Amino acid sequence: MTQSPTLSRRSTSSTTPLPRKPRQRGADTRAGYTFLLPWLLGFIALTVGPMISSLYLSFTNYNLFEPPKWIGLDNYTTLFQDERFLQSVGVTLSYVVFGTPLKLAAALAIAMLLNSKRRGQGFYRSAFYAPSLIGASVSIAIVWKAIFGDSGPVDQGLSFFGINLGGWVGNPDMTMPMMILLTVWQFGAPMVIFLAGLKQIPGELYEAASMDGAGPVRKFFNITWPMLSPVIFFNLLMETIHAFQIFASAYIISNGEGGPADSTLFYTLYLYLRGFSDFRMGYASAMAWLLVIVVGIITLIFFRTSKSWVHYSGDSK
Amino acid sequence: MISRRNFLTTIAVGTVSAAVMAGCGQPAAKTGTAENPVTINYTWWGNDDRAERTRKAIALFESKNPDIKVNGNFTDFAGYWQKRATEAAGGGLPDVMQWDLSYLRDYGQRNQLLDLSTVKIDTSNFDKSLLPSGQIRGKTYGIPTSTNAFAVYYDPAKLASLGIVEPDGTWTYKEFNAFMTEVGTKSNGALYGGGDYTSVWWMFNIWLRQNNIEAFTEDGKLGFTKDDLKKWWNLTADLRGTPAIIPEERVAQLTPKSPFGANAAATEVTWDNFMAGYLKDSGAKELKLVPVPSDDPANLGLFLKPSMLMVASAKTQYKDAAARFIDFMVNDPEVGQIFKTSRGVPASKTQRDGTTFEGTDKSVVDYEKSIEKYLKDAPEPPIVGFGTLEASFKRISSELNYGKVSIDGAVDAWFKEAEDLIKQNA
Repeated sequence: MTQSPTLSRRSTSSTTPLPRKPRQRGADTRAGYTFLLPWLLGFIALTVGPMISSLYLSFTNYNLFEPPKWIGLDNYTTLFQDERFLQSVGVTLSYVVFGTPLKLAAALAIAMLLNSKRRGQGFYRSAFYAPSLIGASVSIAIVWKAIFGDSGPVDQGLSFFGINLGGWVGNPDMTMPMMILLTVWQFGAPMVIFLAGLKQIPGELYEAASMDGAGPVRKFFNITWPMLSPVIFFNLLMETIHAFQIFASAYIISNGEGGPADSTLFYTLYLYLRGFSDFRMGYASAMAWLLVIVVGIITLIFFRTSKSWVHYSGDSK
Repeated sequence: MISRRNFLTTIAVGTVSAAVMAGCGQPAAKTGTAENPVTINYTWWGNDDRAERTRKAIALFESKNPDIKVNGNFTDFAGYWQKRATEAAGGGLPDVMQWDLSYLRDYGQRNQLLDLSTVKIDTSNFDKSLLPSGQIRGKTYGIPTSTNAFAVYYDPAKLASLGIVEPDGTWTYKEFNAFMTEVGTKSNGALYGGGDYTSVWWMFNIWLRQNNIEAFTEDGKLGFTKDDLKKWWNLTADLRGTPAIIPEERVAQLTPKSPFGANAAATEVTWDNFMAGYLKDSGAKELKLVPVPSDDPANLGLFLKPSMLMVASAKTQYKDAAARFIDFMVNDPEVGQIFKTSRGVPASKTQRDGTTFEGTDKSVVDYEKSIEKYLKDAPEPPIVGFGTLEASFKRISSELNYGKVSIDGAVDAWFKEAEDLIKQNA
């Protein structure tokens, strides 16, 4: 969402061209901006503009029909007395905290399996990547709902082993595990990135370790993990931000209401309901900005702590 | 060769002048002729069946009014209101719209809808007690197309197979509860007695009226107390978790079908114009309607509500054309013949008398005739933000059925949300 523009801008500035003759540089800059213009205009008109106006609206009472009324920080302070808001924060946090690590673990495990040289690897890679291509779609959320319904395959499968939970969809205690399974199943994108990272690790390291008598566990923790740590860090960051923004699947599975008993009332879903069902756009804008701030802080914390466990090639450590 | 600057300037000038010319091209005429008709936009919610009927009605209107073209558009109910909200914010509501009572104040009070008493629409054939539900503070924002009333649905074949006597519709809440328990027990839980009727806002509204309480005061505040709501939710306290009431887990799975439509419950308390939909969902041969329970046999608290209204945008350029289309849709007997009871029972007498009702359509009309002597005036249009209140009533009731909250907790939670909303929209 807001992340990509900042990242890309940073990356352009880090590749500043070597100093040249002033006149030539001026011409290049102009050409550069000219080529950037379509994207830049879209970015300013469709992203920056609405963001600034939503920042203004977050300090107002705005119902879409009447001009916004300035109410200062009221929206932000009432947020914390709103039980449904707190519920949505709890739901979203448990989703992020449990879903993201599980998804990354699944992605890494399968990437390692697919990294070995075997016949038909190309087929397996595509097959394992497929769920994440369709996973975010509306149709899969509907299929998921049927799979976890009463007498659906999951219910019947568990009954076979003597576990009778009934349908998960209608049970407020089971909807979160269901949502987490849905996201874990879409491990494709981080898996592909892990796979690329694994291919970068020189084979000699493993050979040398084998010579010294290291087992697979030792090799994983002493070679794979540190060598892969920048990729793990990247995936962790992207998937965490992504998890905070979950919307479509929750919307479909709960019929757009966050039910049963508010157990799938994710942050963005509540934001949407406040804005477009209750016409409280100021409140919704305040929620949006709070999310941006919180995700920003979490990203910052990740970067700060990364120094202790992420090893870049060329580091002295 | 053309220089880069000239090239850009040419494009910029070209774009601007095109925009200016498009602006000038707006038709100045507000009325059309057969050679040069005006086009009005009309939007409605509903399924394919209603879309087909509406298209027929539009074609009929256009053949009778060659100076007006109607551009029709429809979505489902939930998406409908999100779309209207964004259109209203941008000042682009369609000229004529199908409307629901729940949202009349939200848009009417905020000057989004045309005062229909300022244009020519014939309302002489309407029941005088019905029209006020489309009026707010002396202005007419909506004309009812049709009426619906609350009823208890049941499937006679299912009751017969369980050896249960059909209800005659004169029952107290205690008797209704006993009936639901009997169904649940005799079927060994294979068929639940019904949904939890205390989770239905309109049923609560009717119960309040049976106790001579109005749900909302004239200045848009709540007309009932926490104690009233507590009594209401206590009515089925002994039934929750028994086969009398379908468990919430099942309800959530059956959505969007209702437990009754999905053949999981023996009764359902809701509007009588859902008949056609329930017949289709359940595949039952016949469904019957009886009045809702009441502890006061002389006061059933029932009323006819406009099942939908026709409204026009306050910003429409074609007031005359919009008025003629609305008049046609609510009064023309041939339109009644096209829609039958799928919009509810036609509200205008000319349209009602011009329509022949058979089979299920007849049972709905007959039901509304049978309760005529109990009917009271339709309630005023609900308060601003009513749609939200109704949704939170349902949500909190469902938490009650999940056992996630006590009755006292549920009452407090609902009142907190309601008071917050009323303060917000004051």
